[in-house]
Amino acid sequence: MLQSRVTRLGRTALIGIVGALAVSLAGCESERDTGDGDRNETEPFVFGVPTDARTLDPIFTTDGETFRVTRQIYDTLLDHEPGGKEIVGGLAEDWESSDDGLEWTFQLREGVTFHDGEELDGEAVCANFDRWHNFEGAYQDTNFTYYWQNMFGGFAENEEGVDTEEKFRSCTADGLTVTIEVAEPSASYPGAFSMATFAILSPGSLEQIEDDEITSADSAFPDYTQGEGVLAGTGPYQISGWDHGSQEITLERFDDYWGDNAKVKTLIFKTISEETARRQALEAGDIHGYDLAAPGDVEPLKENGFQVPTRDVFNILYLAFQQETTPEFADLEVRQAMAHAVDRQRIVDTILPEGGEVASQFMPPTVDGWSEDVTTYDYDPELAEEMISDAGVDGLTVDFCYVTDTSRPYMPAVRDIFEIISSDLEEVGLSIDPKPMEWDQYIPATNSGQCSLYLLGWTGDFNEGYNFLGTWFDRPSDEWGFENDEIFDLMSEIDRTPDPEERAGKLAEANEVIMDFLPGLPISSSPPAIAFAPDVEPMDVSPLTQEVFADVSFAEE
Amino acid sequence: MALGTDRVNKVDRLAELTAQRDGDAEGASLLRETFGRLRRSPMAISGAVIVGAFLFVAVIAPFVAPYEPGAQLWGREVMPNQNVFVGPRGENWFGLDHLGRDQLSRMLVGARNSLLVGVVATLLGFTAGAMLGGVAGAAVSLGRAWGRRLDAVIMRFIDMMLAIPALLIAVSIAAILGPSLTTVMVAVGLAQVPIFARLLRGSMLAQSHSDYVLAATALGVRRPRIVRSHILPNSLGPVIVQATLTLATAIIEAAALSYLGFGNPDPATPDWGAMLADAQRFLVGAPELAMYPAVAIIITALGFTLLGEAMRESLDPKLRK
Repeated sequence: MLQSRVTRLGRTALIGIVGALAVSLAGCESERDTGDGDRNETEPFVFGVPTDARTLDPIFTTDGETFRVTRQIYDTLLDHEPGGKEIVGGLAEDWESSDDGLEWTFQLREGVTFHDGEELDGEAVCANFDRWHNFEGAYQDTNFTYYWQNMFGGFAENEEGVDTEEKFRSCTADGLTVTIEVAEPSASYPGAFSMATFAILSPGSLEQIEDDEITSADSAFPDYTQGEGVLAGTGPYQISGWDHGSQEITLERFDDYWGDNAKVKTLIFKTISEETARRQALEAGDIHGYDLAAPGDVEPLKENGFQVPTRDVFNILYLAFQQETTPEFADLEVRQAMAHAVDRQRIVDTILPEGGEVASQFMPPTVDGWSEDVTTYDYDPELAEEMISDAGVDGLTVDFCYVTDTSRPYMPAVRDIFEIISSDLEEVGLSIDPKPMEWDQYIPATNSGQCSLYLLGWTGDFNEGYNFLGTWFDRPSDEWGFENDEIFDLMSEIDRTPDPEERAGKLAEANEVIMDFLPGLPISSSPPAIAFAPDVEPMDVSPLTQEVFADVSFAEE
Repeated sequence: MALGTDRVNKVDRLAELTAQRDGDAEGASLLRETFGRLRRSPMAISGAVIVGAFLFVAVIAPFVAPYEPGAQLWGREVMPNQNVFVGPRGENWFGLDHLGRDQLSRMLVGARNSLLVGVVATLLGFTAGAMLGGVAGAAVSLGRAWGRRLDAVIMRFIDMMLAIPALLIAVSIAAILGPSLTTVMVAVGLAQVPIFARLLRGSMLAQSHSDYVLAATALGVRRPRIVRSHILPNSLGPVIVQATLTLATAIIEAAALSYLGFGNPDPATPDWGAMLADAQRFLVGAPELAMYPAVAIIITALGFTLLGEAMRESLDPKLRK
């Protein structure tokens, strides 16, 4: 605390001196009308993103590009350290849970102001939780409240057809102390409190929001979520405007921010969907940074002086074997054969960005619960071919779905990866029927089991192994098409274990069981590449892709 | 050469004679004259050479391609993520593509697919277009009220198709049918229909006002017969020329559709458009990967265009010496 006060004093003094200098310089060089004033104040920082945000009220989505924007506007109770994956305080300075993991108490920071001038207190936090808990009607569709249901269960009154069990019990405020009670312990806490989707909005904005605009599962997002005016948070930036035509969201610095003020006054997120177009925009100076650079662009960019800092890996790309769609896959030998057939090292070496690695299990090695003792499947095409013909599935034709129109943080150059895998599988005696799809069709198709083979992945929401394994294997699903009670029981046991160390032990066991059963083949973990112009001082890049844009600035000349 | 005695036979014989174009009449026949002029035209010769070479390559490709075009034989040598590409060398004359496949083999086999798409699409467009245009043209030439009405209906439909850019029609069709080689053929073919239809109808209308039609009419030949054996055969010339020109467009449009991702869903099967689309990502690291298919498309299209233009000129009576 003391230290930070000194820095703040230091900052004020510095700003004063810089201001005085600026005035005196302006006096000396009054005839120069361009003036080399502080670029951070005069020039917007433009960041190129692959897709538009969907809503500025983040409770309604699961989409990373939305969170990239809303994370700069709102705070959450907990947060991650900048550039890391350890959980630190956000709006809460301190937090603790009861031993049974049912009661979470948060001590809020003092002197936090919302963009609309209101002060943060416990009531404001509880107002948000109560709003989510009391959603009715179409708001209860997983299209709008997937994360709430996933992390905090059902609603005060579940509509017909919503069978999510209620996990959230109550939120009680006492001054700056907030106590949240849940029905059962879960591996998702406290991580869930750090998720951008559970952003704390000001009580003033909550009053203006009327939660009746979403009337069906395919309703558009309400108007207030699509621009400035209603929504206020506590973050370093406030909403200034959203131009849907040019797909630009403009944020302005919020000067009464509780932490260090943002370095750049104006921040713009500009959508440029194509990888190549984003690179060209950066090279032309139209934007000052962009995310998800194509791996092939990284070297040329570096050679030309652009900065491409490397993130730590925190994701998994896997090849799923759907056992119900293709009954032959129910034979373990066939799944093992496919695992031996794919040259994963080649994918990592030739396609993925630097820093990628072959995955041995369904979580990256940096997560607690990663096990050294899982069964591994080395690249061995001869063995694979033998196993395929032993199993009698020589020449079996299988559908292999792949995405044509997008790349994800865990899989750049999807089609190249697809081509390598499908050529490897054909090499050992399978026959591949390629099914190209757009992302919008791909997710429903894979979720409903229409594809025998498909590539998907996951970036962790927070540093918790269950956030990886539980996402896939906590229940029978059409995504995978298998029943394995050993795995499902282990998963629900893990979810109910509040002690992190004990949980890590069980997660390691689960990893071993899963890799013996081999429901799919984990391919790789790889860091998505983010690029900045040479004259930018980038923020610390985050393995969770949760960069803090308040820390970015133009370099002084 | 005796004309029969009774009237019906006489009229029939006259009709045949007026419809006759070649044979023992004085002066060179239209076809022979055309060929003669084509032989002397440098444009036609270069066009024919290019087209011939392209056809030859497309036919023999599978036998001369040094490697299996889909096999990633040198997969570990090419690293697009590090900008490492393998250029031309002894065993791979055109170098390797981004997944370590032999670029020369892919170019050769790609020619086959491009030709197949071009020819099938053109045939489709030609057949459908000629049928629509032929019916409309015939209906007008027959000259009854219902004929004009039928013509109006068909031609307004064609006008509607013309109002939409060809590529847009093609993309819409491709979006409905889903990506495949057949889709590209159908899409490109249908996009050409209005051109063929209008051309044939226009040409038939022009012929129907010509002197020999008037002569035949004066001799008492019935309208359907005039349309069938006089107007239609004489109107086909420009349409056939158009088909040659369309082949060039079809190859380019097929490439464009593959480029946009509507082509063969199996990316291992090469065609020039898809290869170009793939190579675009590596323009910085390996511009030559894009050059090969791009230059091949340009040269082939140029060949068909030259040939078509030369044919058009030599068929044009106004240019006859």
